[in-house]
Amino acid sequence: MSLGHESLAEFLCWQTLSAATPLMLAGIGELVGELTGVIDIGIEGLMLIGCIVAYTAAAATGQAWMGLGAAAAAGMASAALFAGVVLWGRADQIVAGAALNLLALGLSATLWSLYQNHCANLGLSTHLPRGAGYDLVAVPGLSHLPFIGPVLFDQYTLFYATLLLAVGIWWVLRFTRLGLMIRALGESPETCVACGIPVRLGRFLAALFAGGCAGAAGAFLSIMRTKAFAFDMTGGQGFMVLALVIFGRWAIGPLVLGCLFFGALNSLQQILQTTRYTLADPWMHALRSVPFEFFQMLPYVAALAALALLSRRHPGPRALGQPWPQEVA
Amino acid sequence: MAAPQAWFLARRTGRGFDWIVTLAQAVAACALVLALVLTGLAVVGYSPVAIVTRWACGAAGGVYPLTSSMVEACPLLLTGLAAGLTFRAGVLNIGAQGQFLVGAVTAVGLTTRWLPAAAPLVAIPLAIAAGALAGGLWALLASVLERYRAVPVVLSTILLNFVALYLIRALLHGPLQAAGTAAPQSPLIPARDWLGVLIPLSSFHWGVPAAFLVAVGFWWFNTHTTWGFETFAGGLNPAAANLAGIPVRARQFLIMFLGGGCAGLAGVFQVLGVTHFMTASFGDYGYAGIAVALLGRLNPLGIALAAIFFGLLDVGSQRVQESTLALPQGVADVVKALVILFMLLLGAYLARRHLQVTSLPEAAPPASAGAAGPPGSGN
Repeated sequence: MSLGHESLAEFLCWQTLSAATPLMLAGIGELVGELTGVIDIGIEGLMLIGCIVAYTAAAATGQAWMGLGAAAAAGMASAALFAGVVLWGRADQIVAGAALNLLALGLSATLWSLYQNHCANLGLSTHLPRGAGYDLVAVPGLSHLPFIGPVLFDQYTLFYATLLLAVGIWWVLRFTRLGLMIRALGESPETCVACGIPVRLGRFLAALFAGGCAGAAGAFLSIMRTKAFAFDMTGGQGFMVLALVIFGRWAIGPLVLGCLFFGALNSLQQILQTTRYTLADPWMHALRSVPFEFFQMLPYVAALAALALLSRRHPGPRALGQPWPQEVA
Repeated sequence: MAAPQAWFLARRTGRGFDWIVTLAQAVAACALVLALVLTGLAVVGYSPVAIVTRWACGAAGGVYPLTSSMVEACPLLLTGLAAGLTFRAGVLNIGAQGQFLVGAVTAVGLTTRWLPAAAPLVAIPLAIAAGALAGGLWALLASVLERYRAVPVVLSTILLNFVALYLIRALLHGPLQAAGTAAPQSPLIPARDWLGVLIPLSSFHWGVPAAFLVAVGFWWFNTHTTWGFETFAGGLNPAAANLAGIPVRARQFLIMFLGGGCAGLAGVFQVLGVTHFMTASFGDYGYAGIAVALLGRLNPLGIALAAIFFGLLDVGSQRVQESTLALPQGVADVVKALVILFMLLLGAYLARRHLQVTSLPEAAPPASAGAAGPPGSGN
């Protein structure tokens, strides 16, 4: 129990929102990408690259915003590589995404050992210096409300930004010409060509946006929430995002709800793992006999179950995963 | 969800010695990637010459390094088959890692807990069969979810990887945990259940040649059996294959089971032949298998060559890492990922060129038997 939360419920709710933030952020990016027809299963790798780049950039400069910016830029650069291979090279999107994951795994490990060597040579600590990580931002006035205040208005900056982004993207997709274009790119690229919308450029920009979001989500994990880096710190959250986009049937409202649900599951899992030995509740006592690995497995099983129960053959954008142009002359 | 792209269609047909061209392309892609990565390392301040010499000595400089590389190639070959066979049938199985872990933990459970008193002649074949079966069933789970609940295989196999990971951790923390440790770790498998070593003083167990035999078997399956042809046809164009009377879904189930079985076998061989016990972090061969499969152009014999290359790469880079050069961890993964991307680009480029050639009537010789067939139908 940390940060002076008054009750377990309060902490659980706070933790839920905090755990859902990277899922929402990466999910919004992936959603926009998939709506234009680009499915990027390398989102996990993009998040991992965001984690390591944010950490090293923030630690090197001592500036938290440098970390966040560098993470978003690195995410975009990696996404540009992916999009180039997929859009202009016409490579299979799924397999290229899997390659991106492997690349991110290797690159983050390489960067991390280079950084550790560098620190060891200079006799520096690899810990994040004070001020290089983001702290919680309490919204003045509102954070003193009972229950809602500490839960909703005492979060990291990126939480508020993500909420704004979600509303903004919802509005763009629903009410603007740009939103129509985005959806048309994924549903009917032929129509876009007829209207003079450059298909590959549009998809490229959407993939860049997805990469930036995923990079920033990675930064959230490494320089906001934990202020540390570990090799497998994304732990499959990027894959969870993919499931959530399908689960939300390519709409932003259900996507956000799904993220909150999985955030809740995730924080419940963490709390059960850490507190089941200290709490005296009788039902907690029963949980003690369950191996904690089953709690860690819970989000993945729940994602599978949710997909199995709810994905009643919603096809998604019609041109999802297809190369463009379809026929090669 | 994405329909399977025919990027594996990129094989030029009807000409002899195609495989030399394909091999040359793969070698060129690997050389290009290695040059790229070495340049990158040189920029960061490593000496490429020193790295290459140390790498070559560590991977192939003598009997012991060579056998280590082959032993490393064994699980890569089998997980490469798990990915390659299924990709070829149009099923994007990204779950070799989970199938690998499930196979390994089954073998550990059988040899240390459930059949501790059985004679090795019974226990080893039983462990191998059960591990392969477990891997195959784990893969089938994804197929069943797709068939009955429309869950994309790509996603379910990825999620099942994590389920498998925590499942084996729970087992290694619970019923399979070694006495006297707090870590999630199995006891040592009794030495009589280890796979026999073929070359004295090395780790070259008989699972390695067996894995290569499996690859040859699947090459035979692909090229000389009806089922092999039908899986390929279903991967190229499921609708057309269905119209031709091929039970596409049944063949996909079959190939998923066989592929998962290969990955499970990789786990069994690794645990009975190399590590002899299991910890929570048991190797990432499943993910590397995708790279192996693509580098081998989804051809079992090509996959065998690709696995040898990656085995040399892994062992060599490990030696450079341990040496005074202190190569950063993860470079081998970067090489693998870049190889995938290069092979994808190459495959897509060749597919385009192939389509261009076959779609121009004047480019085809008159009255040629191949002109009427769909592209890539020849084998």
